[in-house]
Amino acid sequence: MTAVAAVTHAPARGSLLRRFATQEALLALAIIALAVVVGLINPRFLAARNLSDILLGNAYIAVAAIGMSMVIISGNIDISVGALIGVLATLSGSLAVAGAPVLVTWLAPLALGIVVMAAQGAVVAYLRIPAIVVTLGMLSILKGGLISVTGGKWITDLPASFHLADLSIFGIPMPVVIMATATVLAALWMWYSPRGRAIYATGGNAEAARLCGVDPQRTIVMVFALHGFFAGLATLVYATQLRVIQSTTPAGLELTIITASVVGGVSILGGVGTVIGSTLAAILIAEITSALVFVNVSPYWTDAVRGALILATVIVDIMRRRRRAERG
Amino acid sequence: MIPRHLLTTAAAALALGAWATAANAAGKWDGADDLPTNPLACEAGGAAEVAAKPYDGGQPTNPPDLAGKEITIVDVPKLIGIGYFNATSKGIQDAAKELGNVKAKTDGPTEAKIDEQIKFIDNYITSGVNGILFAANDPVAIAPVLKKALSKGIHVIGYDANSTPDAREWFVNQAEFNGIAKAMIDSMSKEAGDDAAFAIVTSTFTTPNQARWIAEMEAYAAKCHPKMQWLETVEAQEDNNLSFNQATTLINKHGDKLKGIFGMTSVATPASAEAVTKAGQCGKIAVVGLATPNAMKPYVHSDCVKSVVLWNPIDLGYAATYVMRAVADGKLKPGDKSVEAGHLGKLNVVNGSEILLGAPFIFSKDNIDKFDF
Amino acid sequence: MSLASAALTHRMPRWLVRHETILAIILIVALIGLGALNDKFLTVDNLLNQGRLMTEIGLIALPMTFVIVTGGIDLSVGAIVGLSAIMLGYSWKNFGFPLPLAIVFALVVGGVAGFVNGLVITRVKVPPLIMTIATLALYRGLAEGISQARSVRGYPEWFYVLGQGSIFGVPTQLLILILLIVVAGVALDRTTFGRALYAIGANETAARFSALNVDRTKLIVYTLSGLASGLAAIVLVSRVTTTRMDMGMGYELDVIAAVVLGGTSIFGGSGTIWGTVIGLVMIQLLKNGLALTGVKGDATIVVIGLALILSVLIASSLQGRRE
Repeated sequence: MTAVAAVTHAPARGSLLRRFATQEALLALAIIALAVVVGLINPRFLAARNLSDILLGNAYIAVAAIGMSMVIISGNIDISVGALIGVLATLSGSLAVAGAPVLVTWLAPLALGIVVMAAQGAVVAYLRIPAIVVTLGMLSILKGGLISVTGGKWITDLPASFHLADLSIFGIPMPVVIMATATVLAALWMWYSPRGRAIYATGGNAEAARLCGVDPQRTIVMVFALHGFFAGLATLVYATQLRVIQSTTPAGLELTIITASVVGGVSILGGVGTVIGSTLAAILIAEITSALVFVNVSPYWTDAVRGALILATVIVDIMRRRRRAERG
Repeated sequence: MIPRHLLTTAAAALALGAWATAANAAGKWDGADDLPTNPLACEAGGAAEVAAKPYDGGQPTNPPDLAGKEITIVDVPKLIGIGYFNATSKGIQDAAKELGNVKAKTDGPTEAKIDEQIKFIDNYITSGVNGILFAANDPVAIAPVLKKALSKGIHVIGYDANSTPDAREWFVNQAEFNGIAKAMIDSMSKEAGDDAAFAIVTSTFTTPNQARWIAEMEAYAAKCHPKMQWLETVEAQEDNNLSFNQATTLINKHGDKLKGIFGMTSVATPASAEAVTKAGQCGKIAVVGLATPNAMKPYVHSDCVKSVVLWNPIDLGYAATYVMRAVADGKLKPGDKSVEAGHLGKLNVVNGSEILLGAPFIFSKDNIDKFDF
Repeated sequence: MSLASAALTHRMPRWLVRHETILAIILIVALIGLGALNDKFLTVDNLLNQGRLMTEIGLIALPMTFVIVTGGIDLSVGAIVGLSAIMLGYSWKNFGFPLPLAIVFALVVGGVAGFVNGLVITRVKVPPLIMTIATLALYRGLAEGISQARSVRGYPEWFYVLGQGSIFGVPTQLLILILLIVVAGVALDRTTFGRALYAIGANETAARFSALNVDRTKLIVYTLSGLASGLAAIVLVSRVTTTRMDMGMGYELDVIAAVVLGGTSIFGGSGTIWGTVIGLVMIQLLKNGLALTGVKGDATIVVIGLALILSVLIASSLQGRRE
């Protein structure tokens, strides 16, 4: 899919379906296959309660991966998102404990997330500092700043109304609703709206994109701003699930989110991948984590097995893509 | 034609998984370092065996005479940013204020990494503090830098998590490992029944304190509650959401069989309690663990958790500071049998160079609201 | 901005405007400032000690420079440190190797881990970022599984000379680091191997067409990265007298920060060992100087983050660099 083609016309119906039919289908297949295999070993894995718990407990990763995928598709990366989520969660919780109206406590992380990320995007786009440098520096600033300001004090005593994640719509828990809606809307927007497709173009070939009237710099700022929005949304799911907010950076969160995007088929070379893939990948990784406990894999080996499975998924994805490229 | 690389990787993953599954049959509770365990007697109130060992701590080389003078000390806990060490830090500040001639500061890594902690301590050695309080991420790895501090005449006192004895002068121990194990297992037996099946949520297997507690719990349960059944132990780092997810997975996996969950850290216990609450299993699954009161208040009030085992970490930090002052003043010397620690009174020396805080403290519905940490 | 800086740089000699020189100037300014605030900072004792403490990151930063110059990246270095450390202890205790053999074995493990990275990156063509994120998880997991979360301690005294001893007053590991800095610098700057790295980073397709064995070169740099991680692990174990499966956690970010700060472009094609060394020293001494001045850990992290962004900003704007 060349940059030019991405911008000038929406992809033909058939190729859109075919694109979905390979990458995302592979992940969906893996999710189902794993569930079946583990279910045979321990039927309790397939209990509705367990499956829904897997989704609920990890929905925030899928939501954050939406924004991360956009950033990676545009040809950049962000390693500050974990620290940002820690900051936003603390902000939200502090406002709630201080008695702010519930709507404010929910909107504040969205707003701050957008501002912080857009600022980074501007530095990347206009000051031409590579994203890895900016976000590496920002990671330190956010991590240290959070502890400096809060002293590491946990936030307890949250008002009952704060817990957005406990609500449900038509019987479906809020985290799942948010995850599904965000994924679908983002995917549709990226495919059918010119601004959305501009992200693919910028990631694929910035010069060519510019020649087609896409402003790569504005696009990058927009992408980071969106990423901040989704980070804020993920924070809402993350922070409102439990009664305690740790005022620290969740360890390894950014790596988990990047892994979800990458396993979901988003190419680090930019220009390829979908957010549906990253959501499915996030679900798959969460499922693997749970499956390893159900299957009685020794807790000393769970990380190794999970790492091996991620590696296998990644290799399969690359091979599949190369095979398709060779076929032309 | 399935690509060769795919086959190899898939085969490797499957082999790894199969071996990993088989390896679980070994069934040890934790990653303890094969040190001998010493379970207490089974009767209620079995006192911790106070071994009369000769003093085995290290000594500073040519420490300056600081008797009565103001001292500057630094507290380097395992990490900063968790409720537990916020509490010990508060205790240290309380003691410093009371004593009047101690300036104390808490500074440490934001993650429980031993290499980071070593660098923190090293910098404070260079900047010339009079005393260092520490809670070690690894007892052996921290020894070289602590010995360096001793060699520069700096007083070194440990609390919460020990180092090798020769790397510090004294270690303020909240409770003996076997005492904590006894309190935990006895609580679980009382709440969930003497034949309960339980699981353990810990931070990591390489955290020395947790590993030792679990090893002692295993030994004590084998001795005094042999019908209790250990199902498994899972790791959850120091992360709230991870702990919650792991606890939920345990509940879903074992179903009715699971009667109790042990939380081994101040992060794991509230998260496990939340998991039990969300699963609607309050009263059916007992949660017993180490935690700070604030995080547990909702669960204790809702009767989901009956009691929270701990010692008072504020007292721990407080005692450590008094010990530091006593050492700097020359009032606590190798071979002494006790030390005065402010409002805590007289604390006994056990095990050669350990100072015992006292019996574990139980937070329950009656008293938990009195505490704010 | 670019017009002004173009005017400015037009009058300055080229070497002054190089990223590395600007960085060195910033470093010297910072050192003087911190030295003024604190009398324990600029002492030989302290500086040598800092040299000792920065060796592990420094060793890994050298081949990481090579890797990033070729346009790649290696995020698994921290995990390889953990794995090598574990294998050092494990082979000594469980296989019964004599310690020197165990040390070599740990190095080999590191090299093999890096080699696997390179193999999959060149043969299967998995992008380096993705491959090394996956091996980051896998290698760390292997370290935990093999060690069963246990530590191995109690090494003979001679082993500790590496991590804790000094030769002619200079910490042992620092001497090794300095030696390897010279070797790496010469390799990158003066050999065909080094020139090949720049060529691959600048334009890989053109490099292939120039009859450069791109795949073999890449394989070499990733293997070197693994070897350096293994060496760092040995130094670390010697320094702290024990092994832990979580050793090296977070090293990858520290290493990349040093390399990138030193002027190596993340996109590949440019960068020097000298720059990496300055970046390494800058971060280490900043952390140390701030700590000695009484700044607490959390605030120090903030300053380092700001310093990273600002330094790269200053250096790149003074060069009027265009992408």
